[in-house]
Amino acid sequence: METIINCWNEIMGNEVVFYLLTTLVKLVIMFAVILAFVVISVWTERRVAGWIQDRPGPNRAGLPLFLLQRFGSKEKQPLKNWLHFFGIPETSWIAKLCTWLRLDREIPTMGLIQPCLDGGKLFLKQEQTPSYVRKLYFIIAPMLVLGPPLVAAAVVPFASHVDTSFGSIQMCVANLGIGPLWIFAISGLSVYGLTLAGWSSNSKFPFIGGLRATAQLISYEVSMGLAIIPLLMMFGSLNLQEIVQYQAENGWTLLPLWGEGLSLQRWAMMLPLAISFVVFVTCVFAEANRTPFDMAECETDLVGGYHTEYSSMKFASFFMGEYAAMVIGSAVVVTLFLGGWSVGFGADAYLAGICPWLAVLCQFIMFLVKLYAFIFFFVWVRWTLPRFRWDQVMKLGWLVFLEVAVANIFLAAAVLYFIK
Amino acid sequence: MTETIIFYVFAVLAVICAIGVVAFRNPVTSAMNMALCFGCTAAILFGMGAQFLGIVQIIVYAGAILVLFLFVVMMLDLKTEENSNFLANISGVAIAAVFAAMVTSVAMHLPGACLCCCKAEPAKQVQQGALGGELPKLCPAAAARQLDPQADVTKADSMPDIKLLGQCLYTKHTIAFAILSFALLAGSVGAVAISRKIRKD
Amino acid sequence: MSYIPIKRPKFSLLDKIYVVELVKGLVRTFKHLALSVLRRSRGKDDFNAQGIGVCMQFPETRWDERLPEYYRGAPTLVRGEDGRERCVSCQLCEFICPARAIKVVPGPVSADSACQKQEKAPAEFEIDMLRCIYCGMCQEACPEQAIFLSKEYLITLTDRSKSVRDKETLYRLGGTRKGLVNKWNQHK
Repeated sequence: METIINCWNEIMGNEVVFYLLTTLVKLVIMFAVILAFVVISVWTERRVAGWIQDRPGPNRAGLPLFLLQRFGSKEKQPLKNWLHFFGIPETSWIAKLCTWLRLDREIPTMGLIQPCLDGGKLFLKQEQTPSYVRKLYFIIAPMLVLGPPLVAAAVVPFASHVDTSFGSIQMCVANLGIGPLWIFAISGLSVYGLTLAGWSSNSKFPFIGGLRATAQLISYEVSMGLAIIPLLMMFGSLNLQEIVQYQAENGWTLLPLWGEGLSLQRWAMMLPLAISFVVFVTCVFAEANRTPFDMAECETDLVGGYHTEYSSMKFASFFMGEYAAMVIGSAVVVTLFLGGWSVGFGADAYLAGICPWLAVLCQFIMFLVKLYAFIFFFVWVRWTLPRFRWDQVMKLGWLVFLEVAVANIFLAAAVLYFIK
Repeated sequence: MTETIIFYVFAVLAVICAIGVVAFRNPVTSAMNMALCFGCTAAILFGMGAQFLGIVQIIVYAGAILVLFLFVVMMLDLKTEENSNFLANISGVAIAAVFAAMVTSVAMHLPGACLCCCKAEPAKQVQQGALGGELPKLCPAAAARQLDPQADVTKADSMPDIKLLGQCLYTKHTIAFAILSFALLAGSVGAVAISRKIRKD
Repeated sequence: MSYIPIKRPKFSLLDKIYVVELVKGLVRTFKHLALSVLRRSRGKDDFNAQGIGVCMQFPETRWDERLPEYYRGAPTLVRGEDGRERCVSCQLCEFICPARAIKVVPGPVSADSACQKQEKAPAEFEIDMLRCIYCGMCQEACPEQAIFLSKEYLITLTDRSKSVRDKETLYRLGGTRKGLVNKWNQHK
């Protein structure tokens, strides 16, 4: 035991090993969270769509391997049937345990299994590659769509930092000094995937879809970058961890109720920040190719858009890439505008005073809650708004948002300069 | 050490991709090679600690300009180059030679260029060279040391390279920066004016 | 061609800013969502729904009592009040059937029948349920009111060969109908 602890201490004492190990753990957590949220957001999308349209949504899929399920609800006595099947007396401890574990009734899965089964189905489906496609790019394109959102997530902080005896751990995979820019740059690269998918499919509807995606992403990236400049002027930093730390101490960007957030300047900044929020969120919608901006896969005029020719797992990659982009978009909005991992109202410092690991856990949960709330907002908007027309999208991007974002920078500068 | 390895790996990759841009006959493959080349350049900048410049390289060149290239290439549906024109080849070589000469002359006049030639650690040397030179301080560590000798630039995370770049652009090189901005503005206005159709009605 | 010009609605500045209208829309959809989650969707009773929306949860709750009078289910043959097969094997239904689902083989009237006036009676009467499109043309065409569309809608086969319904099955499903058709009764 002693030797194990010593060995552990020795290994962790090495700075490089410590860094690599912690980064690896953080990477695993990050991927797990993103992929889990992809599944959850697919489920949310379909359930909420159902509820909004007065339907139940997918509620049937159960646990396929859970045999008790087959006998239906409690009234049909599934447990009794199964005990009978295996020849176990009803008074035995196994039966009591099953009853205590509430295995004697149907498990309410709420259709949560549905996206998993859908994934399994897509995985098992026959892969069809049309003969006329440009093979290399046709295969690369789905990777280029799914990859960038996962890489871009590296800079999003999901909790505060912890000081251990071996060194401090920052709770984000890469604590870069250029956080938001990194996300814009990397998630902007997914446009290659869409373009190449459209082009390499070698048929007209995917091609138009790819072109639309390209034009739209480029247009909205400009306004998106300009929209956050007022925030950066206020924070004076591009490091996302620092930005969230500032928000934890001085009030969230859109909820300045504690710390320095009560100053006149911060409240005067609310106007430019609110404009920033509206512009930025809309641009995130456009970047994630979500309704009302899903021109690239507008099925009424483009069949399926850029992924018309794709099937099976390649199609699933596009599908997952879209939802991963949505998760990352939500994470950025939450981090910049809604306080990121901050619990709020000065609770972060209080929790950190009790136990840093407790604080980190609370912050992590808070981050996930906010993330989920914003994903819900994404879904909610999708099932409220109809799709824009293509020229409206372009007009909105170049003639409205760009001007508003630029004017907003001057407004924010004026507020910061004149109101002290 | 790490810097040097990163530099050499990505420099070699960048050169290979750059050769790929001219060597491949399919325009889309060329464009994709160019994107990879930009990525490698950005990686070199990252390795030198100039994160901001690296990411701007990706946002502006790989994320926007090259996508527009790709856009145009696809829209025009350029066929792969079948036979080459002798005159075009000659003029291409001439233009390339002029550019190569320009780049070499600039490189030779860089502070620390001689050291570069002698020793095998160019990244490090250029960084040191930037210390005393006239160039904008792109290497944050070196520049920070020059602007504020007491500054703690050992922590890679807290490198304020955006601040340094901003200070450099808006104090020492304001006029050049302003002139360049106006040139770009004039260019974009011109582009709009040319591309805009004047409606008769 | 005449056309009616429809005036486009004038948008006020508030409408053009779009944010307010967007919020209105969001509130509207959220109302539906909340009612669904609370299992109180409007109109749920009309469909005997659980309340998460207005959808009838099919295998558990069924249409049966709520089927309208005009519902067109599987076609069946009926007997009269006196137990006589109404069908006289005129084959009009066979000719009119657009899906060619019906096959009638006419035969002689049985000797003990009270209606010797009628020349034929069906020896075989088959309806292929895989072909039937539930259009109701047979019912329309039948001069004897012998074929009726029932309200049966759950027709699930485990085998293609089981799709054809013979005379006995059709009569069993059809049962008897009130209202005597007396024209073939030789005693009247």
